[in-house]
This record gives sequence, structure tokens and C-alpha cells, in this order.
Amino acid sequence: MIKPENQISIPTQLPSGPRLSIPLRFRDRRRVTILLTLAVLGYITLMTLPTMIPSHFKLTEALMSFAENIKIMFLQPRLVNTTFISLLGVLGQSILLAFLTTLIGSVLAFFFALASTRRLAPTSLVLGIQSFMAVIRAIPTVLWVLIYSVVFGLGANAAVVGITFHSVAYLTKVYADSMDELSPEIIETMQAMGLKKSAIIRQAIIPNLIPSYLSWTFIRFEINFADAIAVGAAAGAGGIGYQLFMSSSFYFNFHEVGVMVYMILAFALVLEIISYRLRAVKHQ
Amino acid sequence: MLTVNHLAKSYDGEKKSLTDVSFSVHPGEVTVIIGPSGAGKTTILRSINQLIRDDDGEILFDDTDMRQLNRSQLRRARCRIGMIFQNYNLIEPLTAIENVLHGCLGTKSNLAGIFSLYSNREKETALKLLEKVGLKDFAYQQCRNLSGGQKQRVGIARALMQHPKIILCDEPIASLDPKSTITVMDILRDLAINDGISVLINLHQVDIAREYADHVIGINNGQVVFDDRTQALSDAAITGIYQKGAVPERSLVHEF
Ligand SMILES: Nc1ncnc2c1ncn2[C@@H]1O[C@H](COP(=O)(O)OP(=O)(O)OP(=O)(O)O)[C@@H](O)[C@H]1O
Ligand SMILES: [Mg+2]
Repeated sequence: MIKPENQISIPTQLPSGPRLSIPLRFRDRRRVTILLTLAVLGYITLMTLPTMIPSHFKLTEALMSFAENIKIMFLQPRLVNTTFISLLGVLGQSILLAFLTTLIGSVLAFFFALASTRRLAPTSLVLGIQSFMAVIRAIPTVLWVLIYSVVFGLGANAAVVGITFHSVAYLTKVYADSMDELSPEIIETMQAMGLKKSAIIRQAIIPNLIPSYLSWTFIRFEINFADAIAVGAAAGAGGIGYQLFMSSSFYFNFHEVGVMVYMILAFALVLEIISYRLRAVKHQ
Repeated sequence: MLTVNHLAKSYDGEKKSLTDVSFSVHPGEVTVIIGPSGAGKTTILRSINQLIRDDDGEILFDDTDMRQLNRSQLRRARCRIGMIFQNYNLIEPLTAIENVLHGCLGTKSNLAGIFSLYSNREKETALKLLEKVGLKDFAYQQCRNLSGGQKQRVGIARALMQHPKIILCDEPIASLDPKSTITVMDILRDLAINDGISVLINLHQVDIAREYADHVIGINNGQVVFDDRTQALSDAAITGIYQKGAVPERSLVHEF
């Protein structure tokens, strides 16, 4: 009997004839579709741009006043209606809002991730939870806060629930992805020793997961801080976002806006330094 | 102790990876399975503790058929079967002693697993086992900082923590240098001789098999083509085992 592997032969001679240039990839439909879409969008943009500019618009004047406002904000930051201490207080509110939502979100997401990783859960559950979470993620955080403000009224409650909601969906996805990346052999090894599922999760999965768990949670904290500011303005949830909104749209005091922007930048810098340190831990 | 009867396995339902494999393993002996790549060695080993479900046959471990056990019975049976891997499969961020202690978690409660609750006696045993494999000074080292040979010895200590009746080793020395190879093989032989454990090893190195095995099983193309004491492993027998499409020798067929 001839085995299949013995039948394979390598052609010793290339077929002769006119030499064609060899393509590096096939012309695929996807690329054509993407290019066409981009072309259509570009055309629409070019056509509608002129209609968006109001008739009384004067470019030089607009640029001048823009430069003026930028100058006020960044070169002449000054407080008029509030004190620095009270601004620190509202900045603290925003930070705490981000912290609380990240904390609740990460705990809940951890359990959802356990139930939706291919390493532990049946495919149907994985698909079910992951698509549910994908739907939640598809709707922006600010929108969730507004949706929940129908239930709780505008304010901090709606902000906490709304931001947490989106955080859970986001973190479930990234936690489950990091669990999926674990080698199946590790879990198999634990099963081969007769370990119970709880012990496998605690002794094999969690130790391997801590670095990515920390860095993803931290990234979500940064996102939640930005969202907390936006939501403070949009849903009256308080915090520095609300103050920012009042100063810019109510008092038109750009000196004050400048101070707050600098405070937020300073905190963002602190976050950046922490995340750099976290990365160092991860790669040690 | 362990008897495998008429084991058959097909991964895709079409191509047979194992056809009618039968052999037994005895306490206090080192049994080595050799055979060409893709012959089915790993498949046999992983069928024994049911990491893969086989299609047909009988795997008698202490007179109970592993294939008939339900989930919790299987889990309990696995507590007494140690396994050692080519890639060690340790939990790298944890220390050597923590990894060794995992070996006794199978028989402990959920709570013990979640909160890492070990008795002092268990911790003493773990330290003693690390000493036995020559790693006393490395007990509190993170496993990711150990060398391959050291990791494999932690793996052995972890398997011993299970108080196993049998230890299954899938190419335990494939990633090790010659010196670590000798260390690891010496430890495994010592377990068979002094602790009466059955040691079943998949190997690619025939010379090592000759030196350490009491009993050799040759596998080719999913079939047992050699099953005898090591002394009977002649050069001709080895050529036969590694031959393409080898068939069981006549004499061997009569033995069954
Ligand atoms: N998960 C799997 N799915 C499908 N086929 C598999 C799987 N694992 C093994 N096989 C097939 O089963 C046969 C036996 O494989 P096995 O891994 O047991 O060989 P082996 O003797 O351990 O080889 P090696 O010495 O290379 O490790 C091979 O033909 C292989 O292709
Ligand atoms: Mg193998």
C-alpha cells in the first residue's frame, strides 16, 4: 500500500512559458470595498463643507478670537468666582467618581470574565455574555448616564451607575481576553492533579493574570476619569466637569477654565507616571 | 496496578491514532514508551488520566476503569496520578514551594484552595520534597527565575506531593541539557525503586530508555510493536519500532 505522504512529489522544473509578475496578494473584495467607501465619504465631505460655514463667518476674525481665548486660558489662568481649595475639592469628587466606578466595575467584570472565557466556560455562555457586553460597549458611557438619569434623575447616582455599567462591559471583555491568552496546558495540568475549579481559578489563573488585570483596570480608571469630567457637565453629576461647564458656558470666564485645565492636566500627568510604574512591574 | 486493555482512539473519527493498545505497568518499575513522532505516545499517556477521552477500551487503575468514572470520581482518581510535562507547566509567578503545595490541593476543600490554607505538616512535606530533588535553597524563589532543569524538579516535587501511585511523564527531558537529564532521570528511577511508585515515561532517547527502563513499550502507528524487559531491546528491535508502518512481531502477538 502506498501511503499518502509518499505520493507527494516536488516539481523539479518550473513550467516554462512567458514569465508573469507574481502578485503578493490577491485583489480581494474587502480592500476594494474599503477604498470605495473612503472615496464616497471623501466626496461627501468636500461637497458639504462649504454649506456648513455660516454666511457671516470671517476666518481672520475667528482665528483672532480663538487665539485670544487660548491666550486667556493658558497664559492668564486666574480664579474669580471660586477658590483653589474648592476647585481641589471638586477635582477630588471627579477622581472619587472614577475610582468608585472602576472599583465596582472591576469586581463585577472579574466574575463575568470567568463566566465568559474560553478556558473555563462553555461556548454558548461565552458567546452569550460577550455579545451582551458588546452591545453595552457599543453605546457610549455618556449616553448610559443619560439613560440612567431617566430612572435616578440627573445627578451623581445616574453617573455612578452609568459609568459602572460601561466599565463592566469593557473590563469583562479585556479580562476574558487575557484569560483566553493563558496557555490551556496550565489549566489542564491543574485538572490532571484533581484540583477543583475554585482552586484552579485562585491558584493558576489569578497569579498569571495579576499584571494584565492591574494595567487594564488602570487604563479603565483613566477612561473613567475623563468620562467623569464629561458626565459632570452633561448630566449635572458635579465634580470638576460641572465647574468647567459653569465657568465656560455660564460665566464665560476663560481665566478660570485655564486653571481647571491645568489641574486636570496635572492629575493626568500623575496617572501617566503611575501607569509607567505599573508597566515596569508587569515586565519585571 | 495500571492495565490498559484494547485502547483505541481517533481524534477526528476517521484516522485512528491508537488501534487496540494493551499493556500493563507495575509498581516499583520504570516503564518507558518509545516510538516515532506521531505514533501515539502522548495520546496513550493523556488517555490514562482521561485528559482526553478515548473511544474504546479499558484503563484499569487500581481495578477501577478510569473510563467509567463520573466527574467527581475522576477528579479523586486523578489526585493519585502525578503528571510531568515537557514544558513543566508550573505557575511561573508563584514560588517553588507554592507550586509544590498545589499537589495536595486536590484532596482539600474549596476554601483551602481559595485561601491557600495548608497545614504545617503539608508545608514540611513540601520542603522535604524540595530537598529530595535538591532544591531546598530555592523553595522561596519565583519559578520564572529557575532554570529548565530546576523547573522540572519542582514539577517532580509537585507530583510527589500528590502521594501518587503512578507518575506519567511526557518527554520530561526533551528540553533539558545532558546534566539535568541525568539528574531528572536519576530522581525518577529512585522514585520507582525506593518509593514503589510506577513510573511511566514517554521518551525519544533510546539510550536513556535502555539505561533507565525496566520495561520498554514500543509504539508505532498507534499500535504496540514491542513490549518486553529492557534486556530484550536489541538493535534489531529498535529498528523495528522506528520503522515506517511497523507491524507487531509474530512472537509478540502470540504472547497476548
Ligand atoms: N488534539 C489532536 N487533534 C487531532 N489529532 C491529534 C491530536 N493530538 C494528536 N493527534 C494525532 O494523533 C496521532 C498521535 O499523536 P501523539 O501526540 O500521541 O504522538 P506522539 O507519539 O506523542 O508524537 P511525538 O513523539 O511527536 O510527541 C498523530 O497522528 C497526531 O496527528
Ligand atoms: Mg508526544
